[in-house]
Amino acid sequence: MRPLWWTQILAVIRLEMKKTFFARRGLWIYLLALAPVALFLAHSLVEIHLRGVRHEMATQSRPITEQDLAAIHEGMTREEVIARLGDPPASRITMRRMPTGPHGFELIPGEVLRYSDGSTELTVVLEKGAVVGTGTTSGSSLGQDTHIFAGVFQFFFIRLAIFFGCLGIFMNLFRGEMLDKSLHFYLLTPVRREILLAGKYLAGLLAATVIFTVSTALQLTAMLLQFDTATISHYLYQEHGISQIVAYLGVTVLACIGYGSIFLAAGLLFRNPIFPAVLVLIWEAANPLLPSLLKKFSVIYYLKSLCPVEIPVDPGMPPLLALLVSNAEPVSAYIAVFGLIALSVAVLAASMTRVRQLEINYTAD
Amino acid sequence: MSNTIVFDNVSKFYGDVLGVNRVNLSIPPGITSLVGPNGSGKTTLMNLMTGLIRPSRGQIRILDMTPDQPEQLFRTVGYCSQFDSFPKGLTGYQFIYSYLLLFGYDPPLANELAWQAIDRVGLREAAHRKCGSYSKGMRQRIRLAQSLAHNPRVLILDEPLNGLDPLVRAETIALFRSFAKQGCHVLLSSHVLHEVDIISDQVILLSGGYVVAEGNIQGVRSEIEDHPMQILIRCDRPSVLASRLFGEDNVVEVRIHDDRRGLLVKTSNPNRFYLLMNRIALDGISIESVAPIDDDVNSVYGYLIGTEEAVR
Ligand SMILES: Nc1ncnc2c1ncn2[C@@H]1O[C@H](COP(=O)(O)OP(=O)(O)O)[C@@H](O)[C@H]1O
Ligand SMILES: [Mg+2]
Repeated sequence: MRPLWWTQILAVIRLEMKKTFFARRGLWIYLLALAPVALFLAHSLVEIHLRGVRHEMATQSRPITEQDLAAIHEGMTREEVIARLGDPPASRITMRRMPTGPHGFELIPGEVLRYSDGSTELTVVLEKGAVVGTGTTSGSSLGQDTHIFAGVFQFFFIRLAIFFGCLGIFMNLFRGEMLDKSLHFYLLTPVRREILLAGKYLAGLLAATVIFTVSTALQLTAMLLQFDTATISHYLYQEHGISQIVAYLGVTVLACIGYGSIFLAAGLLFRNPIFPAVLVLIWEAANPLLPSLLKKFSVIYYLKSLCPVEIPVDPGMPPLLALLVSNAEPVSAYIAVFGLIALSVAVLAASMTRVRQLEINYTAD
Repeated sequence: MSNTIVFDNVSKFYGDVLGVNRVNLSIPPGITSLVGPNGSGKTTLMNLMTGLIRPSRGQIRILDMTPDQPEQLFRTVGYCSQFDSFPKGLTGYQFIYSYLLLFGYDPPLANELAWQAIDRVGLREAAHRKCGSYSKGMRQRIRLAQSLAHNPRVLILDEPLNGLDPLVRAETIALFRSFAKQGCHVLLSSHVLHEVDIISDQVILLSGGYVVAEGNIQGVRSEIEDHPMQILIRCDRPSVLASRLFGEDNVVEVRIHDDRRGLLVKTSNPNRFYLLMNRIALDGISIESVAPIDDDVNSVYGYLIGTEEAVR
């Protein structure tokens, strides 16, 4: 036999599900979750296209090796380039205006030649028949992309998408029903208010974790889409790819647990969502500046330590950004998970005492 | 075990605003009506009983339970509040069924109880339509069904007769009576004394947050009967209805309303008049509403309660 409290929690989840997953008011949450998927998908598709172009070029010229590409340097003549690499598969004529005095200018004819060995592309810039510059591109590597992913995940996905998504889902659990004047139906059933709160929280958590872990999984898939199986399996099995993916999914779930509890509490305390949203947003952003003790009362503090890939700090970065990126006080994974769950449980416990005091007061606004 | 609902020196303030003050009541089973003009504290008392709000002072016990233990209280109590709102997107049936699951009933039992309740208010045909599409009277009835679906022994109903047409009103009253006959508490509120006095075993009169009279209504009723009451009837053929009413001896005066879409009637015996209206409704004249004119109700209170404050 199922215990009564569990039956009641399931009944609450059943009633809440429609609202948390399919509220018309909540459509933007899906857009927020899908935005980074679209970003990585677009990136991968562009890369796949460019790789196709390079491959095409390689087949249209005579076979070229990496050494051939590296041999081209400034000062070579057009003939020397052609002698080494053959006729270019792609080229275009250019014309540059060079000022000769206050009023006059000279037109300098030039040419851009493009070659590829199939993976790397060489661009040769000629002026007046001689090489004045070269450049190579070989598309993005998986290593670079994992860094981009780490940045998007920390700065867009956790701090904005999950943050505002949880705000939209969890703030409305109680507040939405106060606005609709339908909360009293719950309070007039033989359900302890603590159980009602737990049920609503779990319903919100179910929606948030499904929406955002699916988004994380799709983002990772979209990121890996452009690479061949050998590269991917090397990443997965030799470069801790699997544990990174597990960590990202875990951080996504923990972010929903943490922000969910905070916004559930905020929905009980505030009628207007803007005020708590701004407050929590500032508090979370200011986390690196806070004294060590206060830092621990923040969701991002723990999530940061759990993110598997550190964002490289550029020497040229503005100091404030560098501060945001750097993780000055990393904590071990166990402590981070435990700390975040403890924080959420504490916030939920406080909400429970609050929900016991809750009075129905639809009129005053 | 006590079989009464007890208010022990209960006060409720909304900030500085008085809701009810120093209420002492002991309510036995049967039909009890809370009667008072708008703002007199009826809803406040009912919300206090059901824990939707908490008293600023004093204590409430409902058959030995306190309102802050919903897990016990609502096995016994059903409350149909005055809020005319619903959870979004549910049909009448889903509305009742989903909340019954919160009681811990297994789905077949919840299903059975839901249909029983729907049949009690005669909404079987409309049960699979969204509550949002219901007429005001249907909304009132489905909310009533929801509050009594778990067969409570204490039924609390805030203005349950408001917005019901005469026929449904009679059926609803019969329903309350059947509950009372089984030894249940039925507490209902109304701002129209005549609407409830004949059905009530006990009446509690409220004014300005105070209980001003309590007990058997028989004594005061005869006084009210001598005091003509003004009633506005909205209907499609006022002149036909007027000629029908002229012959009745409890009708003192009949006037067609200025907008020609209603009648103003003065009656010396509102109870008999309401019964008469029920009969007329069956005769095929389409009657939209029958409502006492508010000012007049207040003057009845003034008469009844004997204070200048209530007259205003
Ligand atoms: N939520 C509230 N906030 C402030 N005042 C309220 C609130 N609810 C009721 N009141 C006041 O309490 C008094 C009693 O109201 P109420 O119990 O709703 O009366 P009734 O149901 O008899 O019309 C009124 O003066 C009303 O204005
Ligand atoms: Mg009221």
